Amino acid sequence: MKALRELLRLWPLALLFSAMSALAAEEYSFDASEFEKKPFELGGYVELKQEHFSFNRSGVFYKLNTFNQPQREHLDRTTGTLQLTGKLRQGIGTFDFRTNSSLQRDQLVHGDDHAIYDAAYSIRPNPGFTMEAGKRALRWGKGYAFNPIGFVERPKDPNDPQLAREGFWMANSDLILNPGGNLQTIAFTPVLLPVGGDVNSDFGTRGHLNPAAKLYFLYHDIDIDFAWQGKGSRPARFGMDFSTNVISNFEIHGEWARIRQITRQVTDSTGRVTTSVGDATSYLLGLRYLTESDTTYIAEYYRNGTGYSEQEAQQFYQLVNTAFTQLQQTGSPVLLQKALALSRGSYGRPNPGKDYLYFRAQQKDALGIVYFQAAITAMMNWQDRSYQVTPELSYTGVNNLELRLKVFMLQGGSSTDFGEKQNSRKFEVYARYYF
Amino acid sequence: MRKLLWFILCFVALPAAAAAINGTEILKKVDRNLEPESYEAYRKLIDIQPDGSKKESVLYTMKKGRDKVVALFLSPPSDKGRVTLRDGDNMWLYMPDVGRAIRITSLQSVTGSVFNNADIMRIDYGAEYSVESAEEGKDGYVLALKAKTGEVAYDRLKMWVDKQLLLPTIIECYAASGLLIKTLRFKDIKDFSGGIKRPATLETDSPLQKGYKSVMLWSGIKKADFPDEYFTLNYLPRVSELRK
Repeated sequence: MKALRELLRLWPLALLFSAMSALAAEEYSFDASEFEKKPFELGGYVELKQEHFSFNRSGVFYKLNTFNQPQREHLDRTTGTLQLTGKLRQGIGTFDFRTNSSLQRDQLVHGDDHAIYDAAYSIRPNPGFTMEAGKRALRWGKGYAFNPIGFVERPKDPNDPQLAREGFWMANSDLILNPGGNLQTIAFTPVLLPVGGDVNSDFGTRGHLNPAAKLYFLYHDIDIDFAWQGKGSRPARFGMDFSTNVISNFEIHGEWARIRQITRQVTDSTGRVTTSVGDATSYLLGLRYLTESDTTYIAEYYRNGTGYSEQEAQQFYQLVNTAFTQLQQTGSPVLLQKALALSRGSYGRPNPGKDYLYFRAQQKDALGIVYFQAAITAMMNWQDRSYQVTPELSYTGVNNLELRLKVFMLQGGSSTDFGEKQNSRKFEVYARYYF
Repeated sequence: MRKLLWFILCFVALPAAAAAINGTEILKKVDRNLEPESYEAYRKLIDIQPDGSKKESVLYTMKKGRDKVVALFLSPPSDKGRVTLRDGDNMWLYMPDVGRAIRITSLQSVTGSVFNNADIMRIDYGAEYSVESAEEGKDGYVLALKAKTGEVAYDRLKMWVDKQLLLPTIIECYAASGLLIKTLRFKDIKDFSGGIKRPATLETDSPLQKGYKSVMLWSGIKKADFPDEYFTLNYLPRVSELRK
């Protein structure tokens, strides 16, 4: 009887233990059936971004972009973005898409933008062969910040190289072979890219069906690509890239591209434009190194074959300053119109210079906090020594939520690449929720 | 007389040598008992932080032969569509937003987990390690393994093997300096049918990440054969179409 009383007394404890073990079992349960492939999938993210721009009021690009607006020191911009991705499967075919819609508001502009980044139908008659037609963002090259052989894609933003970009309408296919031995893989990707009417109108001259192709090899553990784009809407070009691990935590990569008979416009400080036609060679050498403490270093040198030397860029900056002086003194906008036209061309590219150095260090689980990453990125125009430094913090510890904070600090004297940009500082923070 | 002595010694020594444990053979059986040489499976990774909060990832995995592995992230939404590929010592990560694959290393962790890429895209232990010594205990064997090359994530492993089932129970992973990097604990033996009976749970913790713990759960593991083309960079954007 006493034993029974003792047992009854322990019963709540036994219940608790049983509940705890049930909880533990539930904690670790996994049934794969809920992850079966579905005929239709939809996902994406919503993002809210706040930016604060500090203007470089003496910079030529500030002057050019704002001369007919009220002058300001700062600008605050709020952007809401919805990016949707989806797939629709039927038989051997799959239709996939990615759309990007954004709503932007600052003290000057309220606007919205909607774009289809990808929308392509692909079929796979056999494992080694895929055909595809639609809008597709192809990514060629091994560089982290720059891609000289990115022949059939919109330019990458070195300030956010991992950002999804809008593709081009095209037809392409993939043929994969595995010969074995030291030549582990061969893959051939031919592309046809039409330009006409409103289709791919920003690729180049209308009225061309542009052919391009990439041939990939995995040879002796080295990734090698040969890329080509035929003459059409843009001058013909060809190139190659490689990437390999020298040791397991040390990767090196490179790209080389040659553009045939490209037209290049160079201005002097009086606005006299010289047009020359010739071949241009761009290349990139880079490395990625991971330390035992999970710090990743990325370094790249980029030679931009179509870029402007320090002297050539200085002539353009002088032209802009002369144009504003002329406008103020005589009221004549002639020189300013010339400068504006040039700034909308290759002088106004994000990286118009000839030689750039790129460096990034990122620390995973910084300060011992899991999912917290600290990074610093620096980009320098090697010829004029102007540069941009970007510290960055991000946290992904909350399920499906990404928080990122970035500060862009531009430094350079007058008549230098980063010293003449529109902003001297930019503060950016965003929250992105994936669903 | 001396010849006779040699003869007797040989007779005594031969059965002893035959009875000596063949560590390489045990490791081979451990590899095959853990999973078929080519298979597909679903895995859930649970990363538990010191405050008890959790992050979960679900992966679909295909392995072919001794050294080809593809793992596709099905969940969470922030990682969905990411694919990791291993072909021997080469490892790549494909991110759908970026639209191309970059080379990664075995020591990194694509999930922020105690499990690193070498754990997530593990190939046969026998493909990466040689058996330095094998000891027999009451309930099992203890194998001391040494990495065959410097490309392997852990320089040495100490593996406790269940004698009856010939499956690992605990593996300690060491750096070349002798530092214990992590301990893997295999639990919950389950019959997955098709002759596959193996631990359904793998837990790990690391003295380098005190208070953190990661768990890997297995489901739907079955033998499968795949074309080599699936294990190439060009195929990574389409891996999600391969699941049945």
